Amino acid sequence: MLEISELRKVYESPNRVVEAIRSLTFSVGEGELVCVVGPSGCGKTTLLRSIAGLLPVSGGEVRLAGSPVTGPPPRMAVVFQEYGRSLFPWMTVRQNVELPLKEKRVPPSRRAELVADSLEAVGLGDAADAHPWQLSGGMQQRVAIARAVAYEPQVLLMDEPFAAVDAQTRADLEDLILRLWRDLGVTTLFVTHDIDEAVYLGQRVIVLSSSPTVIMEDLKVDLPAERDQLTTRSLPRFGELRGHIYEQIQRAREAR
Amino acid sequence: MRALRRAVTWFGLPVLLVLVWWLVSGGSFYLPDPLKVVRAFWDTWVSARAFEDVLPSLGRLLLGYVAATLLGVGLGVLVGLSPRLRATLEPVLEFFRAIPPPVLVPLLMLLAGIDTPMKVLVIVSGCVWPILLNTVEGVRALDEVLADTCRMYGVRGGSRLRRFVLRGASPQIMAGLRQALSIGIILMVISEMFASSSGLGFTIVLFQRQFQIAEMWSGILLLGLIGLALSFLFRLLERRVLSWYYGSGAARA
Repeated sequence: MLEISELRKVYESPNRVVEAIRSLTFSVGEGELVCVVGPSGCGKTTLLRSIAGLLPVSGGEVRLAGSPVTGPPPRMAVVFQEYGRSLFPWMTVRQNVELPLKEKRVPPSRRAELVADSLEAVGLGDAADAHPWQLSGGMQQRVAIARAVAYEPQVLLMDEPFAAVDAQTRADLEDLILRLWRDLGVTTLFVTHDIDEAVYLGQRVIVLSSSPTVIMEDLKVDLPAERDQLTTRSLPRFGELRGHIYEQIQRAREAR
Repeated sequence: MRALRRAVTWFGLPVLLVLVWWLVSGGSFYLPDPLKVVRAFWDTWVSARAFEDVLPSLGRLLLGYVAATLLGVGLGVLVGLSPRLRATLEPVLEFFRAIPPPVLVPLLMLLAGIDTPMKVLVIVSGCVWPILLNTVEGVRALDEVLADTCRMYGVRGGSRLRRFVLRGASPQIMAGLRQALSIGIILMVISEMFASSSGLGFTIVLFQRQFQIAEMWSGILLLGLIGLALSFLFRLLERRVLSWYYGSGAARA
């Protein structure tokens, strides 16, 4: 579904050349949930923005369902880390979720249905008429997720979506993502700096090196498909995977 | 008790000022007491003059203000969205902004005559700058994450302009409009003081020349009241347009 081949990104300014991403090649199969982890400053956001078509790449290419990505593809949705800045404060929750559908020219009745269903799915059925700033951080991120889901994307990209919410909310949102992913079967690429989160959510975890970034490991998460905050996290295998990735990232840090 | 205290806070100073006025007035012919001025106010402005002088003045103000808004916001959005256009225009804009609009009156009289078009042009020439420059700032300061969100979800063209650019820049645009309003009132009066035969500014100068001192003072009083009323109306509008801005706490941040 999503193929990234020899992706390279170099930031050039008049007196400085920074190689952010050296070369990344991986793919995300249809319906898969893949997590990307790496040490801080390893170009995770650069990678995600390149895949989303928001950032021109310096080399290599990104293909979505066979066709190369040159700008934001019509059937891709992104949930940004900065929930407070990705929702329009002058619109209500409903209007925020509905806006992309209006632009897609979805007929009004279908639109209302999609908005209601997606808000219901994230547990915000009764907050539709509130403004984003009247909601807590976790709820705002739920709105952003509802907007992405209502858009009916082929691919969902998430850029450290839960980095700025508290631990309790974070666990709830992780389970929300798993549930939505299972219900909708949408191909998902989830970028995070949290190793636990990556192992808990992913079917695969891609471990990045520090910048200039290459892939250190593409790891299959062989945990039972049914995940649960309590039981999954206390499995011995969970601890092993986590420890393994932790070591990799430690190594990546030291190599710098 | 509380209502009383509030009344004292609101009206205390105005009442005090009127009392001071009363005390110092009377001695001079040029400084009539408040009662005379109020009587002159009633006789002068609550009459046909309201239609012959006040309304045309306000009409020109409204026309100039609206034209300046369209011009300032329109050009401001273009300049704000294009770094190259901004680099080209900025020095020129700064120059034009630095010219005090009243000095344009003699020039505009030559170009546009002495009637309504000239007066409206004077108002536009002064009001457009704060609106334009604030709009440019507002558009430049638009949130990048929201811009990315627009790109991702296919919000572009007119919809992007209406739902993102103008709304996002509206706090700064409103700040520019507020500045432009007071400039507009000043220019409305000034434009009528030159070669004019009607309007508030003309009438006040006329009273002064004919030594109708109480009437002249009443005109100044009227201008103050008009300014007060307009800024009150503006505040109502602002509360409506920017309710999200005040609500979200962005105004305090």
